[in-house]
Amino acid sequence: MCAGIAGSAAAVEQKFATRLTAVAYDGAMRANVQGDGQVFATLDGNKLTVSGRFMALPSSATSAKLHSGGGIGVPGGSILDLQIDGQTDGALSGSFSLSSKQLTALRQGHVYVQVNSQKAPEGNLWGWLLPEHPFPGVDVPEKGQGFLPQLDVPGNWIEK
Amino acid sequence: MIMRKRLRHLAWIAMGATAALAAFWSAGRAQPAAAPFTNAQAQAGRTAYGANCASCHQANLAGVGEQPPLAGAGFMSTWGRRTAKEFYNDIRAQMPYGRGGSLDAATYQNITAFILMANGAQAGTKAFDGTETVRISAIANGQVPADIATPRRAAGGDEGGAAGRAPAMTLGQTLVGNIKAYSPVSDAMLVHPDPKDWLIYRGNYQAWSHSGLKQVNESNVDQLQLKWSWAMNEGGENATGPTIHDGIMFLANTSNTVQALDARTGELLWENRLGPLATRAYSALRSLAVYEDKVYINATDARLYALDAKTGKVVWKTDIAEPGKGFNETGGLIVAHGKVIVGLTLCRGQMPHCYISAYDARTGKQAWKFTTIAAPGTPGGDTWGDVPDDMRAGGETWIAGTYDPELNITYWGTAQSKPWMQASRRSGTASTLYANTTLALDADSGKLKWYYSHAPGETFDLDEVFERVLIDHGAQKTLMTIGKAGILWKLDRVTGKFLDAKQTVFQNVYSGINKKTGQLIFRPDVLAQKTNTWISSCPSAAGGHDWPPTSYDPASDLMIIPLNQSCNMMLGHDVAQHTGVVQPEGEERLFFAPGTDGNMGRLAAYRTGTMEPVWSFQQRSSFLTGVLSTDGNVAFVGDYDRTFRAVQTTTGKTLWTVRLPTVVQGNPVAYEADGKQYIAITTGLGGGSPFSKPSSMLGELHHPDHGHAVYVFALPDKLTGKLN
Repeated sequence: MCAGIAGSAAAVEQKFATRLTAVAYDGAMRANVQGDGQVFATLDGNKLTVSGRFMALPSSATSAKLHSGGGIGVPGGSILDLQIDGQTDGALSGSFSLSSKQLTALRQGHVYVQVNSQKAPEGNLWGWLLPEHPFPGVDVPEKGQGFLPQLDVPGNWIEK
Repeated sequence: MIMRKRLRHLAWIAMGATAALAAFWSAGRAQPAAAPFTNAQAQAGRTAYGANCASCHQANLAGVGEQPPLAGAGFMSTWGRRTAKEFYNDIRAQMPYGRGGSLDAATYQNITAFILMANGAQAGTKAFDGTETVRISAIANGQVPADIATPRRAAGGDEGGAAGRAPAMTLGQTLVGNIKAYSPVSDAMLVHPDPKDWLIYRGNYQAWSHSGLKQVNESNVDQLQLKWSWAMNEGGENATGPTIHDGIMFLANTSNTVQALDARTGELLWENRLGPLATRAYSALRSLAVYEDKVYINATDARLYALDAKTGKVVWKTDIAEPGKGFNETGGLIVAHGKVIVGLTLCRGQMPHCYISAYDARTGKQAWKFTTIAAPGTPGGDTWGDVPDDMRAGGETWIAGTYDPELNITYWGTAQSKPWMQASRRSGTASTLYANTTLALDADSGKLKWYYSHAPGETFDLDEVFERVLIDHGAQKTLMTIGKAGILWKLDRVTGKFLDAKQTVFQNVYSGINKKTGQLIFRPDVLAQKTNTWISSCPSAAGGHDWPPTSYDPASDLMIIPLNQSCNMMLGHDVAQHTGVVQPEGEERLFFAPGTDGNMGRLAAYRTGTMEPVWSFQQRSSFLTGVLSTDGNVAFVGDYDRTFRAVQTTTGKTLWTVRLPTVVQGNPVAYEADGKQYIAITTGLGGGSPFSKPSSMLGELHHPDHGHAVYVFALPDKLTGKLN
């Protein structure tokens, strides 16, 4: 359940969150990838603690995993298994010691939660774990740009 | 039904390829086994198809434009490897376009049966119930029965098809006008438009979409009332914006109908139904133009008309492109220095390539033409590598250009090259000129002054074709634009030099940009793409920004941008590089953008001098109108969820909302007549990707599938009386 070599411990606890929404779908898949959910995660050093809920799946959940891809919004392979409790509504959780590679991926926003179900065994809901950020609410303006999760882009932008 | 996405990219099948692929699918195959549907189902499905699908996909299922073929090689290349159940589920979820799930299960089953029959499947004794997991290529071979390939026309020439198609109506001039109070529109008036008028599609030559009126302002906008409304033609797409002069509203209605209305009361002054009648596909006219004593409009069949502004009578007409070749034009036009300048759309491999062309405003005689796809042996022709000339598709101009009268330069954006994906197109990261480019053309000659290629090698239908906004920052003359990738660009409009860029929505296609040159750096796996492999793209083809244009408020130096947040997985198909063949492109699967909490809509303001973000807010629904800002420190915008709102320009705070009968889509305008300021907006359906993506993803938001109209708001008379 836990992976690998511990990376260097961060001094400050970091919080991540995501909303679970349907995986990428077309019309043929649509009926089987409905549902909603919310996941929170805390990173303390290299220890990641994950908890969340899913609801209104069209079929019973069969598994939930952390995945890591090549970017935010870029799907990739599973890296860690989460525990699930429930069927079409339920909870998920897990606690892991992350490898340095996994830590880097998490901090870049490349790690996501995926819930699989009986009718969608290759993915029903997913959501990328991104730094927790205040959301002022629908239609409520915030100063500046608001949250844009370009975590792995700014460093690569070549400044003048 | 419009199978708008996964299949829409598959529409470009030239005859040679069709035959070749059909041969592929049928080669070495025995007569397919009897399919799991009955003949009665297929016959019932044929009728249902005619009523719900044929208006877009054609009676012979051949498709047109972005509406993909549902029979033959194009269909089989996408669906042959998938099951009948998947196809049934797909159309049931998404079709008819904008009304997914609105038919009963039996009707969807019957339509599925008919489409399978149209692809050579043989009816059997077992009825199709939507659960059959047989692979389509096991029961169908893509051979279209003759009576389907060449259908009989119904009486009156209607091929059938109600959904999205305009109801039958008589074409021609139904009301001849006799307008007395009309003053000819001069060049000087276009350069310095009176705030009481709305003479140019985005308000001025610079495309600011800003009004100098301030009777309606931040302190009283919450008292706006509906003054009049006007039902527009049903059918087709509606995403227009009125033009106003001397208290007359000139309206580009659907089905290529032009109307003049009294802008105070909504009384019809003249009407000319130029035609052709609209289908749901590619029929949204975004604008018309006025100049001197004429009204100019590009019809969707790529025909240009000049009408007498006082009577509505046709003065001259000319073909922008050869009729019958599939060209189309919906982007609108501008009049600059005595010339009507217009683009061309739906350039899908047929020759000639897309071009921008100019016509003498008084005679209609063509003055110049600039082709937006570089042919082999011409400047820029090497940027397509070895791609044959007639495989070089795209470069459409979906939005009318802007104009700098001092420089006498007109600025146009161009659409992406096609097929969309690099791996399918086989042009690598080359710039495929002049796709995804800002073009600066001499307004008199059409000569290219400079160009800027925004996204060489673009691969996800993220075109950079939308409005070019002209803003001066001190002595520096800049051009600002934002495309589907959501990157706000700033260029020097004298030289074309890159000045700056700013990301406005989450994107993952580019991992960097060289801020000295503006050169974008692709995410590594995008560069390594292969055909038939899913690759992620944020934003999706709905665009971080799409055709609903920005506004620019000069007092605050704020550009207010309607933005959309969604992602997709895209899969590019193998495309045969035969001369004269443009093949299926790809497939798409949608998902919500990370970090957005499922909110597709974002409205944001940027200070253009510094590119600094000033405010933004999000909402579930996509924005589907342009933004109109005014000197009253208010800005207006409408959305998919039927809300038209006013926000405070400087803060984004919502000051007023009204819920309209259907989707608020089009371009809001402001004008003044008899001392009263009016705000006009249209409702409309269709509108391409920005409309179809929320239709697919925001299932809890509902709207009627009709209700095209224009709505006009103003303050109560007692209030304006005081202000006057």
